[in-house]
Parts: sequence; C-alpha cells; structure tokens
Amino acid sequence: MNPFAYTSPKTTTDASALAGPNGDFALPVLKSGGMDLLDRMKEGLEQPDLIIDLTRIEDPALDTLDAGRIGGRVTLAMVAESEALRKSAPILGAASGSAATPQVRNVATVAGNLLQETRCWYWRMSQFDCLRKNGDDCPAREGDHRFHVIFQNGPCLMVHPSNLAPALFVLDGEVEVVGGDRTRIPIRDLYPDPAVDWRSASVLSPTEIITGVRFKSAPNSAFIALKQKQSFDWPMVSGYAVLELDGDVITSARTCAGAVAPRPHPLPQVDDALAGVSIDDEVRIRAACARSVDGADPLPGTAYKTTLLPVAIRRAVAAATNPAGVDRGGDA
Amino acid sequence: MSHQPRALRAINAGQSVADHATRLEGLEKATGAARFGRDQIKKDMLWVRLIRCPWGRASLDSLDRDAALATPGVVEVVVSGDAGEYHGDSIGYLVARNRRGLERGLQALDAKWTRLDCKTGILDDQEARAPIGDPSKEAAKAIDAADFSFEASYSTPVQTHSSLETHGLMIEPDGENSIVHASTQGTFVVADQIGRFLGKRRSKIVINCEHVGGGFGSKFQIGKEGAAGGLAAKTSGEAVYSFCDREEEHLDTGNRPSLLCKVRLGHDADGTIRGARFETFGGTGVSRRGGGARVPSGRFEFGTLDARNHRDVQFNAGGPRAMRAPGCPQGAFVEELLIDEIAHRCGLDPLDLRRRLDDSERRHQMYDVAADLIGWENRSDTGSQSGTMRTGYGIGTCDWGKGRAPAKIEVVVHPDGHLEVRTGTQDIGTGQRTAMGALVAARIGVPLANISVAIGNSRLPAGPASGGSVCTPSTAPAAMAAADLARERILSGVAEREKLDATQLTIDDGVIMEGGRKVVRWEDACRRLSEPVSVTGEFDGRASAYWGEGSSEGVQAARVEVDCETGQVFVRDVIAIQSCGLPLVRKTAESQIMGGVIQGTSYALFEEQVLDPGTGAVLNANLESYKILGSEDCPRIVPVLWRDDQTGVRALGEPPVIPTAAAIANAVFNAIGRPVRDLPLRPDRVLAALAEPMAERVVAVAPRTTDRETRA
Repeated sequence: MNPFAYTSPKTTTDASALAGPNGDFALPVLKSGGMDLLDRMKEGLEQPDLIIDLTRIEDPALDTLDAGRIGGRVTLAMVAESEALRKSAPILGAASGSAATPQVRNVATVAGNLLQETRCWYWRMSQFDCLRKNGDDCPAREGDHRFHVIFQNGPCLMVHPSNLAPALFVLDGEVEVVGGDRTRIPIRDLYPDPAVDWRSASVLSPTEIITGVRFKSAPNSAFIALKQKQSFDWPMVSGYAVLELDGDVITSARTCAGAVAPRPHPLPQVDDALAGVSIDDEVRIRAACARSVDGADPLPGTAYKTTLLPVAIRRAVAAATNPAGVDRGGDA
Repeated sequence: MSHQPRALRAINAGQSVADHATRLEGLEKATGAARFGRDQIKKDMLWVRLIRCPWGRASLDSLDRDAALATPGVVEVVVSGDAGEYHGDSIGYLVARNRRGLERGLQALDAKWTRLDCKTGILDDQEARAPIGDPSKEAAKAIDAADFSFEASYSTPVQTHSSLETHGLMIEPDGENSIVHASTQGTFVVADQIGRFLGKRRSKIVINCEHVGGGFGSKFQIGKEGAAGGLAAKTSGEAVYSFCDREEEHLDTGNRPSLLCKVRLGHDADGTIRGARFETFGGTGVSRRGGGARVPSGRFEFGTLDARNHRDVQFNAGGPRAMRAPGCPQGAFVEELLIDEIAHRCGLDPLDLRRRLDDSERRHQMYDVAADLIGWENRSDTGSQSGTMRTGYGIGTCDWGKGRAPAKIEVVVHPDGHLEVRTGTQDIGTGQRTAMGALVAARIGVPLANISVAIGNSRLPAGPASGGSVCTPSTAPAAMAAADLARERILSGVAEREKLDATQLTIDDGVIMEGGRKVVRWEDACRRLSEPVSVTGEFDGRASAYWGEGSSEGVQAARVEVDCETGQVFVRDVIAIQSCGLPLVRKTAESQIMGGVIQGTSYALFEEQVLDPGTGAVLNANLESYKILGSEDCPRIVPVLWRDDQTGVRALGEPPVIPTAAAIANAVFNAIGRPVRDLPLRPDRVLAALAEPMAERVVAVAPRTTDRETRA
C-alpha cells in the first residue's frame, strides 16, 4: 500500500471540494465503510494520495432511514434489520441481509454498495491487464469466466456486484447526490452503458457524493440469491421482483436480474408477460419468467446461469406475492 | 419428508478417559492471549518477503535492484533466479526493517516478466485424456467372465492448504543460540532444516511452537519462507520475521493434489465385482511426486485387480504437500461412488452391497448404527424422486493404520502437589496438550486442575511430528508410563510413612485411599517431597505394555437435499462414526471428527484451486473466491466415538476426513439418479448431470414399497 494523506471533513460540501484533483493531490478518493477501497488498495489497483473519510461528516440525513429513503451512510446491517423497510420494501432488507458477512454488513454502507467495483477475478488481480484497466483484451473471454455475464452488453464481461442496485431498479429508485450540478439521478442512469463506457463504476463525477437513495413503497417485493455457498458468497444469479396486485392478479410487475450483466439487468419482457396473470397460474408465471433469458448470449462457462435465472426470477415473483415469507436466500 | 437424526451427544458419554475435560489453552486462544509464531512481532527485527513469479510460467526480464535498495527500510535484495515455473514460485527475497519497507521495496523492484506457455492441469497430458488402457491379462479375464462391464472416469480438484496461522517462522538470536518461533507440526523435524540456513548445529537451535494455528500436513518443512528467513538471520545476526501472507499461503504452501481416475470393471448381477482396472493420474504441479491416491483402498473386494497404474502429471502450479489423509479422500470418493453406481445397476441397497464387499466386522456394526442414526429407512431408491427438492442418503467408509513413533513424556511432581507434564511435541490445534494433561491426571487420579502442560519446545522431551496421526497414539504410552512412575513414587512414600502396603493404595480425585479409607490428600503427600521429582515415561515406537488393542475405522452417513432447479446441494446431516481405540478426551475427540466432516464437506461442495487456463495464474488465491464452507453451509454433525472394548490409543486426526465427500457424493447420486463424478459438486455440474439420462440399471428389480415422491 502506498503512503497517502488522510482527512475527515465535517460536511459533504467540504468533502466534495476535496474530492477532485486539488492542490497537492492528484488521486483523492472518498471513503465511507472502506470495505472495497481497502481491498483495491491492498491489491495495488488503486493508489490514492488522499483519503477523504466521510464517516466524520455531521449530517443526520446520511445515517437515517425511513419507509421511502435511506441515507447513503446507513449500513447494510441497518437496512437488513429495519422494521419500516420490512413493511414498505422488504426487497431491500432481503438484498442487504444476503450480502457478504455480518462483519462486513456492519461496516459497509448503502452508497458504497452501489459504487463498489466488480469482483471479476481478472480485474481484481493486478498482474492482468483488461479492458477495464489498461489492456486491449478481456482475459475472461478465453479464461475461466464461470462467474461472468450471460448478457454481453459490452466488451467487458464483468457482472455488477451490488445486491442493492437491482433492488433499487425495480423500486424506481433515485440516488441523491451533492457536489455536482444535479441533486437526483435515477438509479437506472447511475451506471454507464457498458457498450459505451466499460471502465467507470458509475456516471458520477469525482466530486459527486451519494447522500441517500429514494424509492417507492413496494410491499410486494422480493429478492432471491442463488449462491453456491450460503455463507459469504456472491450470487451466481439473483432475481428481483416488485408486484402490484389486484386480488390474486398481477396488475404490474417490475423484475430485474443481478450477476448476469455489467450492470443490473431489467427484464421488461418478463414484466409485460406477468401483467394480468394470476399468482396461482403457475404455467403462465413459469412461461413469463422463462423469458428472463431472452437475448442471453452466455459464455461457454456461464451457460448454467441461463438455467438459474428463470428460477431466480420465478422464486422472486413467488416470494413477492407473499412478502411475509420472504426467502432471504440463506442469509449469512 | 425431513428426518432428523437423534441428538446423540449422550452416546459418547463415558467413552473417553476424560469426558469433561475442556481444552487447557481454550481461554488463552479465545482471548487472543496465546502467542503463535506469527504473533512474535518485535520492534527491532527484519522482515522478509519472497519475490514471486506472477504467472504460471515466466522469465524475468528485469528488476530494479538499486531502486529497491534505495527504498527507505530495505536492507537487502537477494535474487537467485530469473524464471518462474508456477504462480508463486520464488526467485529471491527482500529484507527490510519494517513491513512498509518490504511492500515499497517490492514495488520499487518493479520485476518485469515475460509470460511463457504453460500447462495448467492433468488434462494437458495426452495419456490422461486417452481412454483407459487394456487391463492386465488376469484382470481382463475376470472382467470378461463377469455378467456386466462398467467403465467410468472420476476427478477431484486441487485443494489448497490455507492454515489459519500462515506458514513461516521468526528467528531470535539468544547468545550463541537461535530461538526459532516456528509454525510447525514437527518441533524436532525443523531444527536441522533451519540449521542449514542459519549455519548452526541443531544443539544451538531452540524451536518454540507453543501454539500452532493448523498444519494438516503442510508444516513439516520450513518452506522457502523459512529458508529465506534463516539466510537473512545468518547474514544480519538480527531477529528476523518471515511469514507468508494469505495469498502466498494459497500459492506456495502445498495442496491436496488433483486426481483423475479411470476405472473399468466387471460385475455380476448380484453386485459381486470380479475384476477391475484402475488408472490414476495425480496432478502434482511442478513436483515430480506426491500425487498418489489410495484407490482401491483395500476395504472392499474388487476381485482380480489391475490397480498399479499411477502416474504423476506435471504442470505449472505449486506442488502438493501432505494434506490430512493424503490420497485418501480422493480415493474414497472414487471408490465409494463406484460401489454405489454398481449397487444401483444391480438394484441393490448400497449398504447391503457394502456389507458384502467389506469384511471388517467392526464396520459392519457401524453400518447398522449409521443407517439407524441417519434414517436410512427413509431413503428412496436412487433416481425415484421427482420434484424440486430431492433428498439423498449416502455412505462412506474409512480405515487407518497403526503407525507409531518414539516418544518421551516427563512428569514433574512439585511439593505443592502440582504436576507438570512436559512434552516437546507440538499441538497444532488437535488437543494434544489437553489429551496429555488429561491422561496423566486420570491415570494418577488427581483433578486436571492440578496439571499444567509444557508443550511445543525442542528443549522439552522429544516426541513425534504431527503426521500419520501417530502423535497421540505414540505419546499416550509414554504419558501413561510417566504417570504410573509418578504415582508409584508418591504412593511408595506414603506407604512407607504410614506403614501400609503400597499396592493396596489408590488415588481418587486427589485423595489417597486404602480400601474405602482416606489416608492422605495428594497435596499433603507431595508436601513431604524436599524438591520436585521428575520421572520420564518412554515409548520406543515399537512395543509397550501400554500399547494395547485398538484400530481406527469409520463409517459416515450423509443426508443431503438437492435443489434440482438450481443444482445447489445442501448437506443437512452427517453421522460420523469413528473408532480410535481408547479416546482420551471426549470433547477434543469429537472436535477432531467434526473438523474432519467440515473439511470433507467443504471439499465435496466448494474447494478447488482455479488456474487461468491461458496464463496459469491462480485466480482464487484468497479466502473470498477460494470457497470454503461457512457456518450456513455446515451440516448437523453427529460424531460417534466407537469404543468397543479397545484399550490402546489409536489414530483419530486423519481418518474422519476420508469418508465425508464420498458419502455426500453418494447422497447426491441417490437424490438425483445420476452420479456427479467430479468434485466439487458445483451447481453447474449437478445441473449438467440432471440433463443426462438417469443412471442405467442392468438388473431389473421390483420397485420398493418405500418409493416416494418429494415435493419442493
């Protein structure tokens, strides 16, 4: 790890002012929980010269959550345990509670979860060049890519690592930002189009800081992670569903897939097929969820994910009809 | 339908010498007070780090030695090679005053490598890829004479060592001696090794390993990290600290090698196996040997065998080291799954077929108990279930030898009644310390609170390395002898003073008795000593009145649930029956068994080293993507200590890891009706198996009445 300077501003404005290249510092970086940043620094992927610690900022809005908003500095553990969210949007608690380990969840924040970097093992190892670093090729394509994409939306084959981002996709979430000329960004616009920009973790400028997320209420919402291990593992595939019901009939659905594409992968074709279907109509629900792999273009090593995805979506839909019995996918 | 095995902790009550003893150093370890070698960090010491090859095979183009030496804190850069044959291979080392200097020095060194073509696995070998060869004449005859022939190929992955305390040592000068705080499983093995690098005789080296954080077979040697530490200590004359980090631990401290096994056999309609050919290929990375697998194990009758067809295959990866029952879990996986496949082909209950092929009487009894405890009667016929969640039951077996080695144990009786048990041999986490203390206490008849154990230092009486599961079996006779000597010494003094017959005296919970009459308390008897009394018990490694009878055999039964939509395997229960002669301490013995099951489950479902096929780089040299079992993945484990009337202390460390993966693989086969012949049993593999036709039956059988369908 390289030497770096450290500062802990008291306001987001001050933090933002320091976050762009300034004065003596060419590579400042923002740190909240620091879970992913520490990994990246230890591997030499990032060599910041200034760490701006956001944990000392005195702003209660960063740390509070209610039925429709979560502060950016709220930990995953707090989201997982929130009674208010369990009623308004159970999908958020389920997705947060399934991430990593209890120790990580006690430190990792919502904003950090949205902005974490991919777990692609080629990207994570400093000896490999890749499209997201300085290379011209993706070593995963001919390499071992068992945890990579089935939707090739761009040249990079990474999958997005966030458990929370797809949940916010189906909740029509927005992120609140300070430090730029905008204050709200729809979550669906937070990540760049991987066909155009496969290097950036988000569209945020270096000075922009996520201070919170807002989302609509969705009592009938659920998350399913299919993991190889039930303790501390990233999902092979995850499924997200928000339903609006009229009696037993799905009047509208929003579904999204995780761990299958470089960013959260909404499934509008599934949503359309689910509309008007009775929650007891297993045949039609199965058929609708089978459409989750429309357009999939799996790699030789990820073909199995095309079997998993319709299952994850179907189970998420089923769980969303009965949020009290939300399956947390074996929370660690 | 879910069957819960009965809670059976009670079954082990009364089976051990010390049922209620708890780990003597438990509190120290739990609070962090225990000092491991890796904790020996001093203010003034040198740090050593190897310069390692980042690719499967590469040549060194350049490095900037001067820049490294100019880095603050760096004191020495030693480069002795210019090529690497595997990711993690070393070409030299760096010495610095502090960790920061090490890290920055390595960065400044800026080694530039050119990647070269490399091989990354057994299947890079042409012969390994080819179909199985022709059996020997005799085996071919037997196979041809059988009703049916069967052919299959099985594989297991590289399982890397990753000790909780990484490999390494800290060397401290002490006058003309060197104290070496080694993380080792061989107190008396590593002195010579480190001496070569320190340029010192063994008599000038003290090995200290009071606490060791795991080893599992990988810590018999000091490794390159130890050698570099020794050289740096010799050059500098200063204290030197050289430990691997987690990545290095995965790359270069050995592994359980991969295995490819091809089998052809002939069997009759009743399951009798007439003859078989086994071909095995061990994946040994850059090592020339160490890839052998114990298959067939000898536990089952395979008719005329052609089984001496092993070859180690080299490729560009770190080599193997012994890992808990080397060659055995991989062999058991092949053999036990093979037997279940034959049983299925013949329409037999695999337990019945085992009873026929296995001639161990003790295991026959264990089969019955295992079946009862796991709920074997709830087992559906293989492949008979439909629905999403399917339940499977499987069995695996093990045995172990009666290896032994010379050992000495000293017992010092202090005038305050305190007993000190002194043994130089190491406790790598197995409970060796507790076992020796509890054995001496029980043998003499005093509470364990009267005992302290000094362990893990080469100045203490010599004992075996922790290998081959011989450590407790070899030290126990010495401890019993020492305890008896100490006891006799005190009792003869009492008898003389009280004018009693020493042979009529007993000691019960610290009180010396004659018949039912209390004579004197142990402490009071000891108070008569003018100075501490030392006695030494010795076991010559061959014969002893304390050796006794006993053997290590085991049967494990697993119950799994397989999610047939996702291919996920959930191991719900494992019954682990194990004999080990006379168990010494119930809790640590149970822990050994549970640890074996945990490691075996992890091996069955998750663990595998992944090499990048193009570059040979290890893609998962960390505990994030090298997946190991976590708490949510852990089955309910019922360890059963099988005592019979055995009197001798036998092996327990290694055997319980042998059957687990086999039992789980069999349970998965039972659940889904198709064998998954490659470990680990990953979801993608289970899904691929499910896409295959149901395993063939060659003998028609009427369906059993217990067949049932399960629902998700």
